[in-house]
Amino acid sequence: MDLLLHFYQTVKWQDLLDIALNSYILFRLYVLFRGTSAFRVLVGVAVFWMFNKVALSLGLVVTSWVIQGITLVAAVIIVVIFRNEIRSVLQAKNLKSLFWGFPRSVEVAPAEVVADALFELAHNRTGALLILPGKEDLSESVHSGLPWKGVLSKEMIMTVFWRDSPVHDGAAVVRGLQVDEVGVILPLSHRDDLPSFYGTRHRAALGLAERTDALVLVVSEERGTVSAARNSQMHEVKSKQELLEIIEKHAGATTAWGRTKRDKLEYGLAAVLSVFLIIGVWSTFTRGVDTVISMDIPVEYTNRPADMEILDTSVNAVRLEITGSGALLRRIQPEQVSVKLDLSKGVPGPNTFTISPASVSLPPGILLKDVKPPVAEVTLDRTVKTDLPVQVDWVGKIQEPYVIAQVKIDPPAVQVSGSARILSNISAVYTEKISVDQISRSGTLSAKLVVSPASLKLAQDRVTIEYIVKERTP
Amino acid sequence: MNQKKYRFSLALLCISVLLGGKALAQEAPSVSPASGAEKPALVQASMCASLKEGSPFNPGAVFPVNQGKVLCFSSFDPVPRKTFIFHSWFHRDVLITRQKLTLNTPRWSTYSTIQLRESDKGPWRVEITDQDAQLLGVLRFSITD
Repeated sequence: MDLLLHFYQTVKWQDLLDIALNSYILFRLYVLFRGTSAFRVLVGVAVFWMFNKVALSLGLVVTSWVIQGITLVAAVIIVVIFRNEIRSVLQAKNLKSLFWGFPRSVEVAPAEVVADALFELAHNRTGALLILPGKEDLSESVHSGLPWKGVLSKEMIMTVFWRDSPVHDGAAVVRGLQVDEVGVILPLSHRDDLPSFYGTRHRAALGLAERTDALVLVVSEERGTVSAARNSQMHEVKSKQELLEIIEKHAGATTAWGRTKRDKLEYGLAAVLSVFLIIGVWSTFTRGVDTVISMDIPVEYTNRPADMEILDTSVNAVRLEITGSGALLRRIQPEQVSVKLDLSKGVPGPNTFTISPASVSLPPGILLKDVKPPVAEVTLDRTVKTDLPVQVDWVGKIQEPYVIAQVKIDPPAVQVSGSARILSNISAVYTEKISVDQISRSGTLSAKLVVSPASLKLAQDRVTIEYIVKERTP
Repeated sequence: MNQKKYRFSLALLCISVLLGGKALAQEAPSVSPASGAEKPALVQASMCASLKEGSPFNPGAVFPVNQGKVLCFSSFDPVPRKTFIFHSWFHRDVLITRQKLTLNTPRWSTYSTIQLRESDKGPWRVEITDQDAQLLGVLRFSITD
């Protein structure tokens, strides 16, 4: 129960975004592959994967190993066997349809009119190519169509494909109750396993059927037969009744109001299932608490009050014990972890700050188990400014018989700012070391000031030194 | 012994008057004026290698360690009543020694001294304070090779 509570308390916005993105990707895959054979096999693979997880949790090592092997082989087989179907799904879509929207509903053509017309054309050995679009957009796959917008009738179809018609060579697109476009150029199929009597018209029909979910009907000029191409498959239609059934199956199943409602329900269910599935996968990967590691992380002291200085700290780094799934912990980098202590409420003198979980920043999915040491002692002090006298730090050996009798420093004192406690123990600011080895007469020099510790700041860092040299009285 | 000290202080007084109260320390020593008639007034203070006839001999701001010792000389006039002062010797900011020196009326000169060792090289200061710890003057000097 504690673990569950901790789980919800530690979910971050990155986790929610992670789940949302992957759920959407899964849902889109469902939308794109829905109704294809590949999708059904994919579902089978997913079931195998879940069996594998169950077997693992029950400790069935060999079963898990076998299922894992089958799943892996099945995944490879899917790619090989359904390569054309997968390619047609991914290639035929424009970019927008991959990420947004749903396949459109079929605009139904009167099946009887179409069947009558095509068998009449076949009887007259007049070639024809008729497209009944499915839910997918054809604009990416076909070219050069002429708008026709003719009311659909047997005569209209026969007129379009009449031998002397200027548009009889291309395909005609039938949408609803009208011949929408004519003279449409289709992509050719590149398959090499097609019968030799298939001409360009058949290859064009199959080419479009491979790329979209349209039903493409072909009338062979040479043989006087009618063929139907859909879902990368083409077969000869023997009778008008069979053609009626094919057209109704292509369109009728998605036209009824009830079917549309069922579609919505199905998509909604798929969306919910996608979210639950991704939450399950995400939890498996990120919320495992099977591994614990230790990391030494430097402590960052932040939000120090502007008028205070840090005099001393008891810790510069802490040891964190963190837990999570092995997969996440193996990838963790030290720069992804930070420990920040907020000093904004510090007062002059010693302060004790607890290193709470809020002070520790961890990547998503990683939990803090322990911090050593749990507290940090920080000594703060107020920043003050004071004037301190300057003193020369002479070194070396002055030549005989000279003696530096008097020294005058300009300015005699400089302003120093820093911790009040440190400054209370300092009575002078010293110059850098100045050698007296070469001094034999009075003069002037410029010297840099040296202040220690480095946290102290000087208002100016150079002074001028005037010195008077006299001869020592024997 | 008392007579000797008296003669010594008289001689120092004469020197002080001649020098016009100027000190010959590293920098002109910061000498605080007497705050009241009851307080002794510091009129001269300097660092020197030795005393000669009761006055600083070869005063300076830099002394070689092989000199063996260094003196802090201070002279007071007037000294309203018998009292004492302190000479506090600091090597950098560390107090090395604090010497209590008696002042007698009506004027008095006195000194403190330290023996020099190799480890004494570096900047020094001597703070002269009265019995109430009031700072009367500071002398700064260096011990070198």
